[in-house]
Amino acid sequence: MRKGPPVTDFDPGRRRFLGNLGLAGLGALGAGSLLSACASSASGPAKGDSSGAVTLQSNLSSPQAKTAIEKLIETFNKQGKGTATVNTIASETFRTQLPTYLTSANPPDVYTWYAGSVANDYASKGLLLDVSDVWQGLGEYPQSLRTLSTDATGKQVFVPMTNYWWGFFYRKSNFAKWGVQEPKTWADFLALCETLKGKGVPPIGIGLGDTPWVASAWFDYLNIRINGAPFHRDLLAGRQRFDDPKVKAVFTRWREVLPYFDPKGKAYPFQEATTALLAGKTGMFLIGTFFADAAPKDALGDLDFFRFPIIDPAVPVAEEAPTDGFFASAKTRNPDGTKALLTYFTTAEAQEEYVRSSSGIVLPVHPKAKAADSPLVSKGKAMLASAAELTQFFNRDSSDALQPTADTALTKFMDKPDQIDAILREWQAGAEKVFKG
Amino acid sequence: MIRKLRTGTFHTGMTLLSLLWLAPVLWVVVMSVRSFDDIATNGVGSLPHSFTLDTYRQAWTDGGELRALVNSLLVTVPSVLLSLGLAAVAAYALSRYRIPGRRTILLLMLAGNLLPPQILLIPVQKFSELTGLYDTLWALIAVQVGFGLGFYTFVLHGFMRDLPGEIQEAATIDGAGPAQIFARVMLPLTRPALAALGALSFTWIFNDLLWAITVLRTDDRMPVTPALLALQGQFVSSWNVIAAGTVIAAVPTVAVFLRFQRHFISGLAIGAVK
Repeated sequence: MRKGPPVTDFDPGRRRFLGNLGLAGLGALGAGSLLSACASSASGPAKGDSSGAVTLQSNLSSPQAKTAIEKLIETFNKQGKGTATVNTIASETFRTQLPTYLTSANPPDVYTWYAGSVANDYASKGLLLDVSDVWQGLGEYPQSLRTLSTDATGKQVFVPMTNYWWGFFYRKSNFAKWGVQEPKTWADFLALCETLKGKGVPPIGIGLGDTPWVASAWFDYLNIRINGAPFHRDLLAGRQRFDDPKVKAVFTRWREVLPYFDPKGKAYPFQEATTALLAGKTGMFLIGTFFADAAPKDALGDLDFFRFPIIDPAVPVAEEAPTDGFFASAKTRNPDGTKALLTYFTTAEAQEEYVRSSSGIVLPVHPKAKAADSPLVSKGKAMLASAAELTQFFNRDSSDALQPTADTALTKFMDKPDQIDAILREWQAGAEKVFKG
Repeated sequence: MIRKLRTGTFHTGMTLLSLLWLAPVLWVVVMSVRSFDDIATNGVGSLPHSFTLDTYRQAWTDGGELRALVNSLLVTVPSVLLSLGLAAVAAYALSRYRIPGRRTILLLMLAGNLLPPQILLIPVQKFSELTGLYDTLWALIAVQVGFGLGFYTFVLHGFMRDLPGEIQEAATIDGAGPAQIFARVMLPLTRPALAALGALSFTWIFNDLLWAITVLRTDDRMPVTPALLALQGQFVSSWNVIAAGTVIAAVPTVAVFLRFQRHFISGLAIGAVK
């Protein structure tokens, strides 16, 4: 039983038919003109032909970094070795869309991204341009960077530009007020935590709400201090097991300092943990230098840091130094222009200019490029230079797919340290799925 | 006495409820006039310790919001007009004529709306590349029209079906063909529904983020939602500038809603009572 008013019969009579035809024709006409309009404006600026401008797809979306990269491209264009345009995409969008960009039929030529296994993953799928030519001119670069930029088949696929460091950051004025010194060893560190706790300050700040990956820094550092960087890399590459007793030893150490963590740290992201540190509500904070972008400008001069305390003096000292730079699409229609741009990024002048105009604390990777002239930066640079080995960061040394397994395991551990055996078993199971997938 | 008390309670309760409803909006407005150092020192949730309107300038010039707004309107206006136009034609045919399989067609259109858009992201991206529309505003318009069409047709179909058949019969007797009936009789009568849908679809398309970042990759073609996202840095964001940008981006939708709200309410009510 149908409701509603009577419906006119569909009557393909001549008059009606003509009427319908007219209507349909109108539609077709509209669609036709629309399509042709599309076609004429679809191509936009001609990209990708061998003499055209190279497109740099950039995730440096914070205002200062964006300005810095735009300036760099401007200088490059003035040099006459080629032309390039920069295309800044929100970093969060960029992260999710990067596979789409790389696999599209007419991809952008150059991309900002991270060195290490995240780049090698794309290389193993044949998506990245072989940039060994660019590396031939980089004799001065240290071997560690060359290794970092080399994929499994032995060709270079990545061009580094800057890196930064991680450390325990604190306010000099607060440490002076509390009458405490930078610790060197694990015992010093525990003593420092005890002192701060005695003064009513939560000693160790952390921000795990929205940014649970920050906890991975603790895992990375404890692991490279206790088991050393080679074991750490093997573990993250799936050649060791997370339920290994050596990994458990990491968590045994971690438990010693768990009572000193800021209990509020689980609720807020690291940006707010930064605010808490600067306000003196926490004593110190293990974080990368990027956190300083969240600090008010007048507090920057008061910041200092110390390296993650040494636990076993027999283990060669390694530091986390995440390296940022560029790779290029294998499908670029202008390999020469692309390589010219990448070569420009490797020069000391370009890196110095970038470091100057981006307010963030980053170090140029060119051995002869001058870093920013501040005590904090000199100290960071010296720390990295003195390290026997460099690691990147959990996700950069493994994969973005493995990162969530770490986030789950570490957050759970900080909540229920008693269940560490079960947590590590689960972590291993989760990691196996990732490595198989 | 009791009546007074009840009125009083009602008003207090409703005021509190409205405040609760408006609190996030107010929070964003307050945040948009704070300075970055204030937010960095006191946190995003604290009361303001500073006042600045420079955030609006930054969002407008550094954030490129003007171009983003123009892009948004370039996509939204044609999308709304085209999808409503096509939906009205489809609904007219499906509701007033015995087209074979019309029920199936309608159900198919509705079924398309039940699919979560996320599973279509990659097909849509690949298809837009195939047609050469990838990274153009046309692609976005096509996607928005395509995805809106089913729902708009369904709503308009329900509306047109309930218009009295006598009007159409009278028009037919007067010698009007289907096209004339559509243009002169149906469309004017459907105006409340069209206005309500117009306001809704304007908001949906204007506020869409997912499709924009799926079919576009060049920053100066991005509409306003991805442009707002682009104000976020990799690690640290200037929340005050983002808040200012959000306030600016909300203006067109609020304007459209205020303009159409009369139709919107009457449009919703029509068909409720028979």
